[in-house]
Amino acid sequence: MRNFRNFFTRKRVRLALLSLTLLLSGFALYLDITVRMQFEGKRWAMPARVYARPLELYAGMKLRPEQLALELAMLDYRVAADPREPGSYRRQGDEFIIVTRPFTFWDEAQPALFLQADFDGAHMGALTFRDTGKPVTLARLDPVLIGGIYPAHNEDRALVRFDEIPPHLVKGLIAIEDRQFYSHHGFSARGTARALVTILSGGGVQGGSTLTQQLVKNFFLTPERTLRRKFTELIMALLLELHYSKDEILEAYANEIYLGQDGNRAIHGFGLASHFYFDRPLSRLDLPQAALLVGLVKGPSSYDPRRQPARALARRNLVLQEMRKLDFITQAQYVAARATPLGVVEKAPEGTSRYPAFVELVHRQLRRDYREEDLRSEGLQIFTTLDPLAQTSAERALTGRLTQLEKDRRLPPKVLEGAIVVSHSQNGEVQALVGGRNTRFEGFNRALDAARPIGSLIKPVVFLTALERPSSYTLATLLDDSPLVWKERGTTDWEPQNYDKEFHGQVPLRIALANSYNVSTARLGLALGVRHVMDKAHDLGVERDLRTFASSLLGADSLSPLEVTQMYQTFASGGFRVPLRAIREVMMADGQPLQRYPLSVEQVIEPGPAYLVTHALQTVVQEGTADALKYYLSPDLQIAGKTGTTNDLRDSWFAGYTGDRLAVVWIGRDDNQPIQMTGAGGAMTVWGEMMSRLDPDPLVPQVPENIESAWIDPGTGLRVDASCQGAVELPFIRGSAPVEIAPCGARSPVRSIKSWFERIFE
Amino acid sequence: MKKSYRVVLFVMAASLLASCAGMLPSAPEDRPVSNNNAVVALMDSARTDAAGGKPDAAVASLERALRIEPRNPRLWQELARLRLQQGQYQQAEGMATRSNSWAGDDRILRAENWRLIGEARLKRGDHQGAQAAFDKATMQGN
Repeated sequence: MRNFRNFFTRKRVRLALLSLTLLLSGFALYLDITVRMQFEGKRWAMPARVYARPLELYAGMKLRPEQLALELAMLDYRVAADPREPGSYRRQGDEFIIVTRPFTFWDEAQPALFLQADFDGAHMGALTFRDTGKPVTLARLDPVLIGGIYPAHNEDRALVRFDEIPPHLVKGLIAIEDRQFYSHHGFSARGTARALVTILSGGGVQGGSTLTQQLVKNFFLTPERTLRRKFTELIMALLLELHYSKDEILEAYANEIYLGQDGNRAIHGFGLASHFYFDRPLSRLDLPQAALLVGLVKGPSSYDPRRQPARALARRNLVLQEMRKLDFITQAQYVAARATPLGVVEKAPEGTSRYPAFVELVHRQLRRDYREEDLRSEGLQIFTTLDPLAQTSAERALTGRLTQLEKDRRLPPKVLEGAIVVSHSQNGEVQALVGGRNTRFEGFNRALDAARPIGSLIKPVVFLTALERPSSYTLATLLDDSPLVWKERGTTDWEPQNYDKEFHGQVPLRIALANSYNVSTARLGLALGVRHVMDKAHDLGVERDLRTFASSLLGADSLSPLEVTQMYQTFASGGFRVPLRAIREVMMADGQPLQRYPLSVEQVIEPGPAYLVTHALQTVVQEGTADALKYYLSPDLQIAGKTGTTNDLRDSWFAGYTGDRLAVVWIGRDDNQPIQMTGAGGAMTVWGEMMSRLDPDPLVPQVPENIESAWIDPGTGLRVDASCQGAVELPFIRGSAPVEIAPCGARSPVRSIKSWFERIFE
Repeated sequence: MKKSYRVVLFVMAASLLASCAGMLPSAPEDRPVSNNNAVVALMDSARTDAAGGKPDAAVASLERALRIEPRNPRLWQELARLRLQQGQYQQAEGMATRSNSWAGDDRILRAENWRLIGEARLKRGDHQGAQAAFDKATMQGN
């Protein structure tokens, strides 16, 4: 009986022990799965990183010293008295000494270069190696990082890889938060003992956390300060250390840690915090900035650098002091960093990209070729066509002009909206894209999504269709601008009016376009056939369906600024359709090239008619509706352009091109109310202001071989001697110029024939 | 950067040779593609890459050069040649046509462009179009 009881007790104990072990290992297994799931979920999502174009440097290039300084500032290059470190420079007047950052481009890795650049006015006069004085043929600056494409559940993060975390930040964290990080197994025995003592003496549960434990704490949704939670965290920290390396844990930590509050938006991770406090990517932080972020870990609200600058400064300096104690930084670094002001941007920027509208275009083009989840998680590097200098000019011109226009027109402030697309006139690369006057706003992108009636911007398509029939139409052909009533079954009669509410009788074709006459254009388009004109628009690159009503000839159809740009791109590149591109190359996370988006061209318009349309569009600027452009840009630039205005002055458009750039500007209101301005009064002024900042190349189109020129009397369209008063020299497709030479001052074809007869019989 | 020095040396050597040859008419390859050294260097690395079986890298270099000199018909022609080699016949024709549009009265260049267009058309099975292009190539010589 006793034995039996003994046996029973022993068995019971064993059973109890066994089930306890089972329960514990079950619990551990459960924790193990939880911790790994949590960790993997955060770790494997590496966003695509999006870069601007790298600035190519070579002697003779068109670049002003201020532009180079701006590019270097956007790259966060440090100003140094004696630049030695990559990413630093010195400017003395027009002389720059630059130490470039090493960078792996799509095609080659470029080491850090020690350069000297000298300027000669608006050009780089010489580019040499600083140490040897030898000329540099071609060098690239590293590209500006302009954004990321983030995992959907982490849309509001700026995830960083371990190698993007500045070493100072890692060292600071270790110095102030967890000195044994690289040697412990997830928890510190001393810290835990200290915590236990505090708990047992009734001080509550706090402190003693390693970085690993702090990370684990973030895996829970609710904070809880109990012994049980503390124990669970400890086990999970141990498990985490078992599965992952220190660097992996630190990377996850850097992307998880809570560092501030922006209204109801929590700022998690050093990447986002770096944008939130300094408006720059994490990899570009200097020592005092990194130390400030490290200091925030302890209490983002009590050390908030915007609200509690004094406390934040003291905390930052404490971090620096600890770093100095451990000899992580030199005394000189310590002294210099301590003396630096906080350097926090006054207002937290919206979002993490400086150019969200352009990044959206990039994202859309990528979506055609990549799965969304790959874009958001594979760490792809996207090299784009964005020219930050052009983008800056476009943004400044739009925001500045809109404010001025509202004042001038007595409009309430902030009612006007606008959009701009700038492209390279020959290769179709999109260099700048502005989606609205709040350029940091990640919402409605007017450049891509605001389809508005294009008004007179369609007219060059009508005239191109005509000029492709040289036996019937030339630039000198007289068009009928007398009243027109168009009857079409099923619709009300259409009676187009000119903007000045007058009719102009017989007008030369090029003048009808220059002055944007509606009636003669409509009559011309109807004679050609609306369908033919709209087909021509498709040839030029418009993909959207266009209606074929008579009013379509005057731009009743709606297009986005980007679509208009594609259409005008074909004019700008001499009749060659060049698809607009925002991406050059895609590279894998490990630096392997993945894909190129090459230049492609297709001739869709014969060179002759394309040349004539450009000539007519130059007339628009020289003597037509856009002649006020001369207040912004020299007439010597021979710019080609077209104004566009829609019914009741709701939309103001301008599309134009120089020798090197094409740009389309739209201004209007989101509620589509009238804005009381024409294309010339609104959009053109933005265009002019923007281009004047960009030193455009003059537009000198190559003359096609089948083009000849003749002197014409504009009033009659007849060929006259060059010496006749008012005679203009015009290009013609060979064989289409009038053959007869009329005397000076001939009034009409009838009279000229008569005078010819008279000459014979006299 | 080293590569570009070699290019400059090569160009200097080539022009020296050309001047020694005296009155002989120079083939297009002997003339420097540009008087901008950056463009010359990029053209050279494009040729090296193309010969080394790296056509994508070659195209990338030519596009870089075209950003510097978008009106240089020699660069467009080189792109046409590469696209032809890669079997992208439509693009080959597009690039050669674009080269022609900037060629002015450079007959040698135009003839070569028409020859490239002819070959591209031939490869696409357009024999009539190819013949027309070859005819134009011959006409340029007259």
